[in-house]
Amino acid sequence: MNVSSQAWVVVADDATIGGLLGAARPLGTSLVALVAGRREVAEAAAAAGVDRVVWLGEPADGVPVEAYGPAVGRVVAEAAPRVVVGPATDSGRVLLGAVAAATGAVVLAGASELSLDGDKVVVERAVGGGIALRRDRVVAGTAVVAVAPGGTVAGAAPVAVEEVDPGPLLALRVTDRRVTPRVGVDLGSAKTVVGVGRGLKAREDLALIEDLAAAAGGELACSRPLAEGVDWVGKERYLGISGQTITPDLYVAVGISGQIQHMVGVREATTIVAVNSDPHAPIFRECDYGIVGDLYTVVPLLAEAFRAARS
Amino acid sequence: MKIVVAYKWAANPQDAEVGPDGTVDWSRAKGAVSEYDPVAFELARVLADTCAGEVVGLTVGAAAIDTPLARKAALSRGLDSLVMVADDALRGADGTRIAAVLAGAVRAIGDVDVVVAGESSVDVGDRQVAMTLAAQLGWAGLNAVRAVTADGGSLVVEREVAGGVETVVAGGPVVLAATADAALPRVPGMKEILGAAKKPTQVLDLAALDVPAPADTIAPVSTARPDTGNRQGVMLDAADLPAAAAQLTAALRQSGVL
Amino acid sequence: MDFGLTDEQELLLESLGDLLERECPESYIADLDLNHQQPTSFRKAMNDAGFGSLGFPEEYGGTPCDAVTLVLLAERVARQGLNNGYGLELLQATDILEFGNEDQKREILGYLAAGEVPFALGFTEPGAGSDNSAMATTAVHHDGLVTFNGTKTLITSALASKNLLVMAKDPAVENPREAISMYLVPMDSPGLTTNRLDKIVWHISDSCEIFMDDVTLPESCLVGVKGAGFKQLMRNFELERLVIAANCLGQAQCAFDDAASYAAQRVQFGKPIGSFQLIQLKLTDMAIKLENMRNFVYRTAWMVDQGLPLKSQGALCKRYCAMAGFEVADEAMQIFGGVGVTVGTRVSRLWRDLRGHRFGGGTDEIMVHIAGRQIVKDHS
Repeated sequence: MNVSSQAWVVVADDATIGGLLGAARPLGTSLVALVAGRREVAEAAAAAGVDRVVWLGEPADGVPVEAYGPAVGRVVAEAAPRVVVGPATDSGRVLLGAVAAATGAVVLAGASELSLDGDKVVVERAVGGGIALRRDRVVAGTAVVAVAPGGTVAGAAPVAVEEVDPGPLLALRVTDRRVTPRVGVDLGSAKTVVGVGRGLKAREDLALIEDLAAAAGGELACSRPLAEGVDWVGKERYLGISGQTITPDLYVAVGISGQIQHMVGVREATTIVAVNSDPHAPIFRECDYGIVGDLYTVVPLLAEAFRAARS
Repeated sequence: MKIVVAYKWAANPQDAEVGPDGTVDWSRAKGAVSEYDPVAFELARVLADTCAGEVVGLTVGAAAIDTPLARKAALSRGLDSLVMVADDALRGADGTRIAAVLAGAVRAIGDVDVVVAGESSVDVGDRQVAMTLAAQLGWAGLNAVRAVTADGGSLVVEREVAGGVETVVAGGPVVLAATADAALPRVPGMKEILGAAKKPTQVLDLAALDVPAPADTIAPVSTARPDTGNRQGVMLDAADLPAAAAQLTAALRQSGVL
Repeated sequence: MDFGLTDEQELLLESLGDLLERECPESYIADLDLNHQQPTSFRKAMNDAGFGSLGFPEEYGGTPCDAVTLVLLAERVARQGLNNGYGLELLQATDILEFGNEDQKREILGYLAAGEVPFALGFTEPGAGSDNSAMATTAVHHDGLVTFNGTKTLITSALASKNLLVMAKDPAVENPREAISMYLVPMDSPGLTTNRLDKIVWHISDSCEIFMDDVTLPESCLVGVKGAGFKQLMRNFELERLVIAANCLGQAQCAFDDAASYAAQRVQFGKPIGSFQLIQLKLTDMAIKLENMRNFVYRTAWMVDQGLPLKSQGALCKRYCAMAGFEVADEAMQIFGGVGVTVGTRVSRLWRDLRGHRFGGGTDEIMVHIAGRQIVKDHS
């Protein structure tokens, strides 16, 4: 299949597309945004520095963006761009799956670096759940890549929004939406993060870890079992391959064994400190400082030392 | 109602060896029902029990996924029957091809109303195959599913979205990827394990499924070991914890991260 | 010889592992030990997953099970650090399912399903234990009733149980082998009083003395055949010794793992103590004992499954595993040094609980008495 030299981004009813545009722009001669979702999202995309915006029209009340999968697949397959970049989000993956099915391409997920080699897209990404990195060249057809969507972009002179007929939509309808109050937490920009895992024996003991986080001037986070197994910590604070990825100066992992799925989310930390009672815990192979010991003994001592040092 | 649980028989990367050049040796890692999938079995069983439905397990992969142990491990998780495509032509197959083979198998099973999957596979972790499968089938796909119930001819799906929970009604067949904590999966009990061998398993021939031949769209360039930051790996003496805490604090202060 | 597990055994152990992680973490066990409580919620979860009716006849919802699988499961629960967590209660319940009347069976199955202790075994007396001929508790049948008098002591888990499985003799029958019958006596029967005995081992199972002063119940409390109590009781003794041995094996393995991990991390003179040969010698000898225990337990279970006569095998196995298991725990304690004896460490609990197995279910010495006689007889 011959492809054009265009780069496309797929927008899933969410205007925070800075990451998508940044990844896609260097890969094509022109940048096209394909927007499924509300007009306001299409208009935001139009002012984000793209060359064209293709919009699938205003969704009827209650129609979720996932209903536009076949339309997204068809429009992309017809345009046959060199690369399609879409958001690595729940709805983004649905639209990228539609692109994959329509073009026969593989969705390259977990991409950490995109580049051009001649007119071929080269993608570096984590494979094997994060245990290895691999570079692939897309040698035929459209490159389909999922990346973190990134922030909002504005300020460019808006281009026209071209509305196209989406054709038949899938039979999905949102009938109810309940808002769950969520304490806003921005782990992504936190300078210090204290993560806690299975080593914690009881929910009440979270106070200990919260105190350490406060002493270090950082945010509390956790590994998967604490957010999903027992629900002691909010899901938005869970670090790892299917949770948050952080890039702090200091990450203190308390009672976390260091399973690969967790480490993928914290590897970018400048300094990693690990506290664990098991000397064989894998986290000790990936930390800057390790203390083997019972967290109930170690954590209060650390909190005291941190507090003294910062005051 | 016919419910398919699409699951993966996979090894945990924690048990794989990564060479200095980033090549992965899986030979010492043992296969198991991928750790994000038990919740899909649970959602499917609960749904089936409320609407007199039937649950069919479905997995595809290399020939090695079809062992008596692998069959029983899946069948003991609340399935009524199991369908497999086990062919070495699928060794290392990419997500789109796996999704195409799953789609072929779903069509071969016939009259399927819903496919339930886990959010991700433990060995790849792309979180993509289920949604590509939905598109291959021409069905709707929904991620982050917490619950599903039947209401007449429709499925009522609860899914997590940013800041809340949505109820989505699917008028047609649908592929659902469950969040890891949608339900607490039952641990297979004695009876289920001992009774697993008696349940029917059907092995589908890959060649007989209407699946396009793989297109070589990507070519490997290189592999590497992830940069773990060349961590210092300083172990502080646990016998004198106050001293260790002081030493750590001083080091963190000095490098300016505290 | 095949030392591998069957698919089913592998899957059962995997399931059990998940269940233990979920329902029986160390914090749970430590709490039970501290507060002297039974692992009720864990037993209920085990029952819900079908492990609580292992080996019961199918008409009672049970699942047939071989002895090798039973000891594998008992060992695994013990390796979690839980003493007597699994197995014995099933064997005891089998007595009722085999010999009891329908009401008794229904009652016992109900308690098991709720994770409760269905009954305690009322056997040992101040003047009688392994020497059952000295039993003094009497059960006199009259007018469709039975009246009990006597004292039982060191009865395990009676305070947590609804019933006591009483062994008592008919004073009118001379031959002690034919005098003893088995009865299921509610713990709240009028005339039955208890006195708690605090002990330094087995905190999750209470111990007490039981006094029966003209306790009178309908004759339907008889379990099985009058005069056949001793024979009925003996029926599962061999398997019981085997399950105790498996329990010792699992707990010793737990102590060993803790000690080996500690040796690898505890630094003295600038090195982990595990790098010193004196510590390595301990760990090596502990590992050999564990391997011996494992082989002994598995082979004995295999003999049961083959229908081979056990003769003294069960007694030999129980004696070896109780002693070797405690030796392993004792060396583990030594490796931990002063840390090991502090309250709340797992190794201290394992050490205490393993010590109890050198007399619980028959002392080391009575095992010699049983096996020794048999050995000499075989060679006479």
